[in-house]
Amino acid sequence: MIRLRFSRKTLGIPYAVFLLFFVIAPMFVILFYAFTDRENHFTFMNFVRFFSDPTKLSTIVYSLVIALITTVVCLVIAFPIAYILARSKMKRKFVILMLFVTPMWINFVLRVNAIRELFNWMGLLGETNYFNTVFGMVYDFLPFMILPLYTTIMKIDNSLYEASADLGGNAFTTFTRVTLPLAMPGIMSGVTMVFLPSMTNYVVSDMLGNSMVTIIGKFIYEYFGTDWHMGSMVALVLLIVVFVSTWASGGFKAEENARGANL
Amino acid sequence: MKARRLFSVLSAAALLLPTLSVLSGCGSYSADIVLKVYNWAEYIDEGGEGSYEYDMLEEEGKTPSEEDAPSMIERFEKWYPAHHNGQTVRVEYSTFGTNEDMYNEIVLGNEYDLLCPSDYMIMKLAAEDRIEPYDERFFDTSNEENYYVNNVSPYINEIFESGTVGVPKYDDLVELHRWSEYAAGYMWGTTGFVYNPEAVDADELEELGWKAFTSYPNQITAKDNVRDTYFAALGLTYQDELLSHSPDEEGYNETLTGIFNRTDEEYSDAVRSTLLSMKEKIYGFETDTGKADLVSGKILLNYAWSGDAVYSMTLAEEENDFELAYSVPKAGSNLWFDGWVMTKGIEERGKKEAAQAFVNFMAMPENAVRNSYYIGYTSVIAGEEMLDYARYLYEDEEAEDPTEYDLGYFFGDTAEDAVLVASSKETERGRLFAQYPPEDVIHRCVVMDYFDPDTSERINELWSQVKAESLDAWAIIVIVVTVVAIAAFLVFVKFGNKIDFFRRKPKKGYEKV
Repeated sequence: MIRLRFSRKTLGIPYAVFLLFFVIAPMFVILFYAFTDRENHFTFMNFVRFFSDPTKLSTIVYSLVIALITTVVCLVIAFPIAYILARSKMKRKFVILMLFVTPMWINFVLRVNAIRELFNWMGLLGETNYFNTVFGMVYDFLPFMILPLYTTIMKIDNSLYEASADLGGNAFTTFTRVTLPLAMPGIMSGVTMVFLPSMTNYVVSDMLGNSMVTIIGKFIYEYFGTDWHMGSMVALVLLIVVFVSTWASGGFKAEENARGANL
Repeated sequence: MKARRLFSVLSAAALLLPTLSVLSGCGSYSADIVLKVYNWAEYIDEGGEGSYEYDMLEEEGKTPSEEDAPSMIERFEKWYPAHHNGQTVRVEYSTFGTNEDMYNEIVLGNEYDLLCPSDYMIMKLAAEDRIEPYDERFFDTSNEENYYVNNVSPYINEIFESGTVGVPKYDDLVELHRWSEYAAGYMWGTTGFVYNPEAVDADELEELGWKAFTSYPNQITAKDNVRDTYFAALGLTYQDELLSHSPDEEGYNETLTGIFNRTDEEYSDAVRSTLLSMKEKIYGFETDTGKADLVSGKILLNYAWSGDAVYSMTLAEEENDFELAYSVPKAGSNLWFDGWVMTKGIEERGKKEAAQAFVNFMAMPENAVRNSYYIGYTSVIAGEEMLDYARYLYEDEEAEDPTEYDLGYFFGDTAEDAVLVASSKETERGRLFAQYPPEDVIHRCVVMDYFDPDTSERINELWSQVKAESLDAWAIIVIVVTVVAIAAFLVFVKFGNKIDFFRRKPKKGYEKV
């Protein structure tokens, strides 16, 4: 009789298979399309066309700027909230946290539509397309910034603050020397989770910017209607941009003390 | 222990089994033929609420059930065996959202038998030799069950007979074929402006035509798809030239067709600048939000297909109790249609008979009325039943200003005395006008050809240039250089100390570790 032996590694097999089929294989498909033409012959034309076209480069730049602003605004809003919630001894702080997180449970399209009506009522719809887009993105991605920050800050040992006070650190020094470095894994994880989707979430820019704001995700979508090869090239360039920015921010380091920051 | 594990595995399997059987059993009752139909979403009578019989019963004060109003698919599956020697058929029905989505599915090798693409996509599919012509027996008018040829509007038929497309045959040989050989019409219409007549003067809009896009700042939407908006921009660019032709001159429609199909570089450059100035003025581009935005009063005008125009007008009337109107530019506009085509190899798959029967079934006058009622678009099918339906919808002899509305051009000899009497509002800019435009309006509407691959690539580039915000070259260079510099800095911070050259020399008296 064959004895089946299960080790903990065996449990990883479904995950590996999943990755192979739904992450690795599609990337190779994109690579293939990006460097072929309509007759499926190898070509660099898509590459050349992409980098010689000011429109596409402009769109990349615009998307980067929109994503950057979104991320910074999210961080500026989320950090104090997360800090206050994590450090305070409020009895009902869980409720407040839930108030920020529950919108995630409501359908995304519904929420964006609600904001659209709100902007219309305020007279902003169709007027301030870029502002609307950034606002929508901040609103949509804020919980993704708050949650990792909250979990990391909450786990900072209180004695570290006491030590800082004992050694004569004022509030500012304590923040820069204790809170900020220890919250770094949370910040990084939050930034990645906000920055990347806000480069591609064209539903927000279409609905709130009346399709007058074009970000790179929309480009990819449109090209995949008519020209898969160019669409793949755009997707590939975006992939590289994302890869480089993640790598530069240390996202690939095995974070030993990420402490649950990576959701 | 072992027994327990075995038990848990078994119970897990037992839990999975019903799901599996449900998944595989889903609608797979056996039938002789499985016909795979690929149609636009919400583009067929799906039965139940909103379908003809259901609403009629409700109007009578009864409480109808789903069984009272079966979907068109169910009706077809029931009808087919009795007319084809007891052979049973099952329809596998799927839907798509855009012509391009459908095209990609076909190219990727998904097998469908019957498709319902739009005009230009039919031409593209034919030009790429992806679709099969209809049989001769499909066109046999003596056969009563050939509902399509016996009931199609002579006007639509003429369009399908006169339009041609080059189909590749052996090697490089291209053969000209009529559209009618490959496609049977389904729904048709025009494009134009739906507007709020209280805020927009009907005569003024008539006068402005395509210039409406730049004349109502922030109050008008364009379509977020390249073909429709390119067409509009052509109208705007060449409006004066279009208007210089008189509808009475010979070949008027052909001349307009030529102008509205200008894609060469000399023309497309002009269209690009038109589009850019349009973008400055309009409220936005939309794919789906335009109808709701118009009805809720966010905008005053919406560039729309006539079918959607009818939908907006009904919605505004029923839910918000105000009127909307429809206008087709004097300079000419788009005539569009969707039609049934059969994919290559359907003969070998043995489904041609069933596919043609499906098309004919949809063309059966009472079914055409049902579909038309459910979708709200205008069917290509004429005939007495359709005329009665139009009368039921629009005829109003007690109107203050009853106007005679001649639809003879559309119904031809399929129905007698195709003249409706309706209020002048309906005939001049209402739903009747949108659904069945008068002959002089239709005379100035033209079909837009498909773009060949190279043109398509060029026009798409143009479109992306219009849609995206362009930066000056120097700005891009500055930003790219900054980004590279930051990246280099980060790399330096990360790895700088690993490179000997950058390592700080140890202070005197200390040793390098």
